Amino acid sequence: MIKSLADFSRIAREKGPKKLAVLAPEDEEFMKAVKISWEVGYIEPVLIGNEEKMERVAERVGFDIGKFRKIPGVDQQAISDLGVGMLFSGELSIVSKGQIPTSYVYRSIIRQEAKAGSGMTVSVVTFWEIPGVDHLVAFTDTGVNIKPDLKAKREIINNAVFVYHLMGYPRPKVAVLSGQREVGGVLPSYRDFLALKKSAASGDFGECEVVDATSFTGILLGGGVRMKDYSAVRLEEIPHILVVPCLDTGNIICKLDFFLDVTRSSLVATSRGPVCVPARSDFSENIVQQIAMCVVLADRMEKGA
Amino acid sequence: MIDSFKDILTAAKQGGLKKAVVPFPGREDIEVLSRAAALGIVSPILIGNEKSLKTFIGKTDLWSYPHEVLDEKDRKKALNRAIALMREGKGDILMQGGLTQRALMGAVLDKESGMKKARVVSYASVFQLLKREKLILVTDTFLNNNPGLVEKQAVLENALHLDRLLGVESPKVAVLAAVEQVNPGIPSTLDAAILSKMAERRQFGKALVEGPLDIDCALSQAAAGRKGVQSVVTGNVDIYLVPEVDTGYLLAEALVFFGKMPAVGVVLGTTKPVVLALPFISDENRVVEIALASLTCRKGGDNG
Repeated sequence: MIKSLADFSRIAREKGPKKLAVLAPEDEEFMKAVKISWEVGYIEPVLIGNEEKMERVAERVGFDIGKFRKIPGVDQQAISDLGVGMLFSGELSIVSKGQIPTSYVYRSIIRQEAKAGSGMTVSVVTFWEIPGVDHLVAFTDTGVNIKPDLKAKREIINNAVFVYHLMGYPRPKVAVLSGQREVGGVLPSYRDFLALKKSAASGDFGECEVVDATSFTGILLGGGVRMKDYSAVRLEEIPHILVVPCLDTGNIICKLDFFLDVTRSSLVATSRGPVCVPARSDFSENIVQQIAMCVVLADRMEKGA
Repeated sequence: MIDSFKDILTAAKQGGLKKAVVPFPGREDIEVLSRAAALGIVSPILIGNEKSLKTFIGKTDLWSYPHEVLDEKDRKKALNRAIALMREGKGDILMQGGLTQRALMGAVLDKESGMKKARVVSYASVFQLLKREKLILVTDTFLNNNPGLVEKQAVLENALHLDRLLGVESPKVAVLAAVEQVNPGIPSTLDAAILSKMAERRQFGKALVEGPLDIDCALSQAAAGRKGVQSVVTGNVDIYLVPEVDTGYLLAEALVFFGKMPAVGVVLGTTKPVVLALPFISDENRVVEIALASLTCRKGGDNG
């Protein structure tokens, strides 16, 4: 059972190197991440992008990329289509975004999933490692679906449960988050929770449990209790998967690692393998962590774990 | 300049006693009010069952500080009496007490007999940063479900009013969205861009409003720089304006539970400050919350 980001790093060293296409590593932080990931044995990179720019940043970070396969590309969508296409054709195990907008990568994945007829909705799973919590916590969808409807949320849960099963959790706990309060009537996000709770009880998401609480207060303090002081907070009660109401909420909360004592790591699990989607503002250390996570999940997907 | 919860308490003490009207207070309310009274911030007017209230009061230090007890055994009548006292100018701060938030806010927002003053009544959560002396506001974290542009403008005005009372002359505002780019498919980014443009034309006075900003750009100048966003707002935000209440409420909770950040909150846009009992505000900070409310009625004369 994978309980921490360190577990991912440890297993990635054992299971690597995996062939990984990097989409436009034309920024020092991304290239530095590729360098470190190669040096520790996570990956064998295939570099797709503007060759001149890639050579320049590689030189700046002291990385000899002469020995790796390089595929020239300038148009960002074309670069993304090519890399994701290679993942779906089985030519490589993982794709990682470089310094290009993530929307291009999502578009490529959506097209490839449609072509493959997988029926898989694309969604992003963003893990938090929280001190004092004995498992990784995943927010989803933090990247693709702007305002997911009930159908999309069902698929978002399916994707996240699939990832947790790969991580060795036979029955992950899921919270469907909502800003539902005593005032303001019933929010659409709360209506979705009620419907998803029923679906889970009918077994629609396979082995998982949707918890009753929809807010952090409900989850961490228990129903109807006020926080006299912080000692009342039961942080360890946080479920494995937190389904956010919409993209705004997901993205805003999951990137609080810039502020809080948590570590963030994101990925997209496609039907053919993981796609690493670091934020364009992420730094190399964080990107390496995200690559390690993808290496492990790629390995487990290949083995049909 | 008020930079911390300690500053809020100090300033409130200097402002002298304010009358806090509390319908149907519970034991916890009385304990918190007792502490606020001991600090010289409030003299409570407690409305409820006189006999049991006096018993509770006798078990705390409140009995030795100025307070009043008004006998009223019916909850609805207690609420009506509380609102009437506020409207008559006999109370400075209205507290939720033992009533439901729905009942209290229903009465506060009543067009005929309520306390609405600004175009929109909103809620601001105020957090104290842990690593340096600074307060940040996040709004609207409780009252408005899905504000449109007009409402967001009013929510921002309410928050700016509060921030200026705290001594921030030119508040730096991040209008949050999922991404920092204006994306026609993401409505929050459009509202953010318009509010930012309005600020550029000085429609919010001296406030510096940047939007859309995703949270990483808002929190870190380095992160913003890597995304090509150059702004004095990034990395030093005073007010975070959220797109809707799912985000606002969950964000406020996340900062408390995962960030252990001290938090308080206040209703804005009313004739006098209103204090709600949100479950994630600690007892210690509920005293600060009363102090903040007292401060807004001292300095602003009103609350919106």
